[in-house]
Amino acid sequence: MSIAVNGIVKCFGAFTALDRIDLEVKTGELVALLGPSGSGKTTLLRIIAGLEFADAGRVLFDGVDTTSRPVRDRNIGFVFQHYALFKHMTVFENVAFGLRVRPRKTRPTKSEIRDRVERLLALVQLEALRNRYPSQLSGGQRQRIALARALAVEPKVLLLDEPFGALDAKVRAELRAWLRRLHDEIHVTSVFVTHDQEEALEVADRVVVMNQGKIEQVGSPEEVYHRPASPFVYDFLGHVNIFHGRIEDGKVQIDASTEGSPSDKTEANASPRRIYVRPHLLDIDHVPGGNGTFRAKVRDIRAAGPVVRVELVSDWNQVVTVEISHERHLALSLKEGADVFIRPREGKVFHEDYAI
Amino acid sequence: MNGIGTNTALVKSQPLVRTHESKWAKWGLTLLAFGFLGLFLLLPLAAIFSEGLKKGWSAYWTALKEPEAISAIKLTLLVAAIAVPANLVFGIVASWAIAKFEFRGKQILITLIDLPFSVSPVISGLIFVLIFGLQGYLGPWLREHDIKIIFAVPGIVLATVFITFPFIARELIPLMESQGRDEEEAALSLGANGWQTFFLVTLPNIKWGLLYGVILCNARAMGEFGAVSVVSGHIRGMTNTLPLHVEILYNEYQFVAAFAVASLLALLALATLALKKILEWKVRSESEARP
Repeated sequence: MSIAVNGIVKCFGAFTALDRIDLEVKTGELVALLGPSGSGKTTLLRIIAGLEFADAGRVLFDGVDTTSRPVRDRNIGFVFQHYALFKHMTVFENVAFGLRVRPRKTRPTKSEIRDRVERLLALVQLEALRNRYPSQLSGGQRQRIALARALAVEPKVLLLDEPFGALDAKVRAELRAWLRRLHDEIHVTSVFVTHDQEEALEVADRVVVMNQGKIEQVGSPEEVYHRPASPFVYDFLGHVNIFHGRIEDGKVQIDASTEGSPSDKTEANASPRRIYVRPHLLDIDHVPGGNGTFRAKVRDIRAAGPVVRVELVSDWNQVVTVEISHERHLALSLKEGADVFIRPREGKVFHEDYAI
Repeated sequence: MNGIGTNTALVKSQPLVRTHESKWAKWGLTLLAFGFLGLFLLLPLAAIFSEGLKKGWSAYWTALKEPEAISAIKLTLLVAAIAVPANLVFGIVASWAIAKFEFRGKQILITLIDLPFSVSPVISGLIFVLIFGLQGYLGPWLREHDIKIIFAVPGIVLATVFITFPFIARELIPLMESQGRDEEEAALSLGANGWQTFFLVTLPNIKWGLLYGVILCNARAMGEFGAVSVVSGHIRGMTNTLPLHVEILYNEYQFVAAFAVASLLALLALATLALKKILEWKVRSESEARP
């Protein structure tokens, strides 16, 4: 089922949580709503679900207006951040709940319910836990049961509110990959909310980046990462260094000025701009050379992880983060306090032209 | 091995050596606490039973079998049977509204629920006399229609409902607030209607708290004196509840009978205490079984 959101506005008192949101989710798509807390992403999800109602605007499922339809008639599956499993019911009873509360006419028979619950427990690989209570499960298991419970009613739309937010890093990464595989298997139109950019980029077909009640950008993970539509998106999707400077003939000139204040040294014909450079697009060398090279002092080296993360301080006291490979790190034999040069990598495109 | 053994011993004994008061202080304080309890709680309780049984079991039974005593017991049970279910419904409705919804005047409602706790019971009784009494606002109308509230059973019920209103709501509001709305929303999203959500999800989550509130509410409903005393009119065999009956007997120097009837109320208190304790164990063992 496709979802369309038209001009949704939602205010809580004087606070505007959503400001004229338009969004379309195609059938079978897995879309991430990504943004910092307070960006309105959860409110938008709850309005799509019917757990919250908009002050203005419409929600359409398959082109049919469902704006004022209550949640129980929307045929959605909702997964909560804190699982919201029924504490006093076993895993089996939890998953069966949505089927057992149906009116007699549409309720499946007992054996049908049992079969379907068993199938779902197999799908989430937790058949062995059917008689446990939620409190006897780990966080990851609880969330998988919550997902099975939501899928039991065969929803046309699956909505997940920070589904992995309460889990630790390792379980989170596992469940993330698992959710992606599950979606490839069952293809139900899904929207999930997250504040974790890595999660959004790794799992979703499309990412909707939100900030302060507005959509900043909608695009594939590649698009939003490599071609951010706004400084906010650039900043939110991973670490970024912000410089003042110009790009002349495709070559970068970084001004020796403090980030955040307009540069006085900018020449009249080139307007001052902010330049956004990801840490892995910078290189470190002992000698100057190439466009945009500038001097800096090594402040901190973090060599644990897939890349070596070096923090440096430029002449104009700006902290710059650079990521280099372990090989490069060995070749340079960097020491804290050493004076080096930072150089933009050759052949890499810089992001610029966000005129302030 | 030795080192490990000593370590565990240390860890185990740690909670006990938190303070370093002398043995005398420790035992002295404990004795003082027990002495206080004995003097002010156990001694009066024992006195009730010993006074009641002073002239033997047969005198005790005679006092309880008196028609006026029987009618007081009946009335007390009737009042509790009306007040407790009424407050059960009111309490659930009020705490549901407060815990699950945002609305204007929520704080006022919370304060109002506490009102019966903060007002003297005698005043609570007088309020009803002022409203329903002959000289009260609704008095003339009630008399025209031949409805008796004050100095009759309805007045006693009303006063008891008023006095015991906070018990269940006070128990449920924090419980429901701590549970949030997630489970109800999950039930709704799975297609459950309002009643199914309430009976299958909300009620099982609050059942122990609810029972706890009911027990306390019942104890107070049966034991209330002040407010009931004002509205009842003390008509023997008609509008006397157990506490009022005790007072009358005592004032008439029928000490054995007074204490015999009082012992019923004391038994009620003991049963309430026991039930309360059992519930607490039950809740704890359940939360331990499913941490």
